[in-house]
Amino acid sequence: MTTKVIQEFDGYNDIIRDIEACRKYGVAYTFDKDSVDQYINRLHPPQLRLRVSDIIEETPSSKTLRLVSQDHYLPPFQAGQYIALVLEIGAIRTSRPYSISSAPNQTGYYDITVRRVEGGLVSSYLLDEVKRGDILESSGPAGNFYHSPLFHSRTMVCLAGGSGITPFMSMIREVVECGLDRTVYLLYGNKGLEDAIFHDVLHDISERFENIHYLPVIENPPDGYEGHAGLITGNLIAGTLGDLRDKTFYLCGPQEMYDFCIPEVEKLDVPARRIRKEVYGAPVSICDYPGWPQEIRADDVFTVEVHGTATVEARASEPLLVALEKKGIVVPSLCRSGECSMCRVKILSGKVFQPAGALVRKSDRQFGYVHSCVSYPLEDLEVLI
Amino acid sequence: MEGYDVVVIGAGNGGLTASASLAQKGLNVLLLERHNIPGGCATSFCRGRFEFEVALHQLSGMGTSDKPGPLRLMLGSLGVLDDLEFVEMSDLYRVVVPDGLDVKLKADRSQVVEGLHRLFPQEREGIERFFDLCYRYANQMLAAFYFRDPDISRKKYPALYEYAFKNAKEVLDELFSDPLLKAVLSVYWGFLGLPPDRLAFPYLAMLFFTFIEFKPFHIRGGSQALSNAMVNKLLSNGGTVRFNCGVKRIIVENGAVQGIITQNGDQIPARYVVSNASQVSTYVELIDPEHVPGEALREMRGRSLSPSAFVVFMGFDREPGELGITDSTSFILSHTDITDLPYNQMRKLDINSDLMVLSCYDVADPQFSPQGACQVALVTLKFAEPWLRIPPTQYARAKYRCAEAMLSRVEEIYPDLRKHIEEIEVATPLTHMRYLGHPGGAIYGFEHHTKDALFFQPSRRSPIKGLYFASGWVGDAGFQTTLQSGASAAKGIIRELEHNGGTQ
Repeated sequence: MTTKVIQEFDGYNDIIRDIEACRKYGVAYTFDKDSVDQYINRLHPPQLRLRVSDIIEETPSSKTLRLVSQDHYLPPFQAGQYIALVLEIGAIRTSRPYSISSAPNQTGYYDITVRRVEGGLVSSYLLDEVKRGDILESSGPAGNFYHSPLFHSRTMVCLAGGSGITPFMSMIREVVECGLDRTVYLLYGNKGLEDAIFHDVLHDISERFENIHYLPVIENPPDGYEGHAGLITGNLIAGTLGDLRDKTFYLCGPQEMYDFCIPEVEKLDVPARRIRKEVYGAPVSICDYPGWPQEIRADDVFTVEVHGTATVEARASEPLLVALEKKGIVVPSLCRSGECSMCRVKILSGKVFQPAGALVRKSDRQFGYVHSCVSYPLEDLEVLI
Repeated sequence: MEGYDVVVIGAGNGGLTASASLAQKGLNVLLLERHNIPGGCATSFCRGRFEFEVALHQLSGMGTSDKPGPLRLMLGSLGVLDDLEFVEMSDLYRVVVPDGLDVKLKADRSQVVEGLHRLFPQEREGIERFFDLCYRYANQMLAAFYFRDPDISRKKYPALYEYAFKNAKEVLDELFSDPLLKAVLSVYWGFLGLPPDRLAFPYLAMLFFTFIEFKPFHIRGGSQALSNAMVNKLLSNGGTVRFNCGVKRIIVENGAVQGIITQNGDQIPARYVVSNASQVSTYVELIDPEHVPGEALREMRGRSLSPSAFVVFMGFDREPGELGITDSTSFILSHTDITDLPYNQMRKLDINSDLMVLSCYDVADPQFSPQGACQVALVTLKFAEPWLRIPPTQYARAKYRCAEAMLSRVEEIYPDLRKHIEEIEVATPLTHMRYLGHPGGAIYGFEHHTKDALFFQPSRRSPIKGLYFASGWVGDAGFQTTLQSGASAAKGIIRELEHNGGTQ
């Protein structure tokens, strides 16, 4: 009936002629089959296959793995971004994010620099088992820790701790190799001088380029050490920089470093909007985290029923994601620090502990979704993946 | 592999309402979503202490509980209203011309008319007639087609017969002489995707009518809250949802849907498939060519892709008032051309005097961002084509250059903006392409020229038996319409099942 009615509407015949012409001579969408994925793959391929082309010893506890593409293409990234390696170690399929330490102005290879974590499953595997020629699977580059020319200052104050140096290495390489109009102050904290990754490279760059300032800060320096000893304090920062205005602060390192350094920077009246912080994995000892319920002990074990599939046991001090992975249950993950929401699951029953700072959407909280990489069981759980 | 009554592909607005409605009716429903989060456009993302709203600027069709609009009624029947809070906006929009006019249009018929009278006294009569026409058109349209008048005639519905196939500019030209007023009254084309000389007038008329009658709304917690509430309802009605699970193929045999194959290769039988993916990828990528009906391809050939968008999301460490932001929805207008210039601007990479909208959710809902902070989405429409030609290594640079141009533009109106940016994220047409999977990153499905208006759109029911569409690709785009598209696809399936005798 509608068709009959609209035939009497003013202008109907012209429109019908237009429609007929367009259908005859219009867009052949079939020609563009798969083009959306193809275009997107240039920037964001769903996965990369990487070959270890070189392994470089950096310090007694760290190595750089130089990774080339097995598929002849590595997508561009912004200095400071990471890739997540997806690994199968024994029966466990897991992933770990590593900041790319090579410069973004070339994508012939990505360097990732791995430091040994005491008892760390993945770092031991990468440092002890992986050899030249091995093929690794990874995500494309991701992450939000990079210089934004839209609102960051041209002067970057980088505070690094331990392996947190890697994104800064990429940023500094880009600045010097591309001749960018930026000044970098890098304060790099380590327990001992021998732990400082890239020390010689950084020292050399800072000698050659007057816009790069490198200050190693050693907590337990050897006798007679003439550099800065102790921690990265507000006084040290203020003394190094002089004027604190119009500078953007970037922090990358372990949680203890943030706990110490952020208040130090804030004491200098640096507004929070000028302090950028990279995520750095789940807290190491969650039971010491503020708000952890005292009655729950690290080795308390709870059962986790995965709705409709399996039941696994999980320790209170272990992220839910890890407990699931150990039983061969794969939940996609990327940042493993609570930021990216890849490992989002719904808690159907039971309680979990979530440290502050996990970027969970408001309505996810309302409907019981958590990021399983930073959620710790406090009771028996039922979860929906 | 376990079979389902219905598999719904995609958890965008249409997929969500379709699956929630079907599960409510007792059907065994499986909803599949490629991403880790439901919503499609109706989603949010977190940066620092901000949760950014991705796509919802003004929700239409809500109304109040005393005077409910069609969308409120639909959400009510799905049972999600108790999980959500809606925030009413008192204004339609503000239009700012840098160094020129600054006007606010209230979401109230007499106030909007009065306000415009004051600024455009010589256009007094035209202003009255314009809103009168929008109302007459909308009322006639609803009476004739929504309430299904069995006896439609030109005598009963003169506005419908005269204006259904006119474009918006023809109507504006008929009523006004001041080009500035024409531009001010047609900025909503930014929410529809086509400049007024190409856009079917009924879209503009219906939008004014529905925003004035039922007011523009925002959702507390953003559109993600609505998407999450919908999934929650699906689950509590016994439905199943799988995230991180794309669909590779819709299996068709003898002209009828048999099921789907997921990206991981799982084959899942189903009697019905509702596609919330674009109509283009449904026919071109998900179904083997020999099963795609020629008539469907021919129909699609006649349509063109709508623009995508370039968006700068910003979080500030100040409240809106401290930045000079006084309105929820502000259009920034830099010229009064409503014909080829804006269309050509959308086809270019660079951003100059393009029409922009600045939405600040914290104005109507001070709890939207953390205390003492606020967020803004700054949007302009852009086609993806020039972005596809950028070599990958130049992409970030182009993105920053365009964002910078947009920022400088709004700084003319809000000079303190940049000083207080705490977070920023930029989405280009490629970003929309990536997250929506739409060809050309199109955010409004196909373009809505007069020839593509309502009456000429294909049915939600594909010629392939058992396949339904629920999206802005078959039907109109926008939140209200895509949400309704899923509900009506569900209705179609229920009706078909009842007709075939029983739901099992």
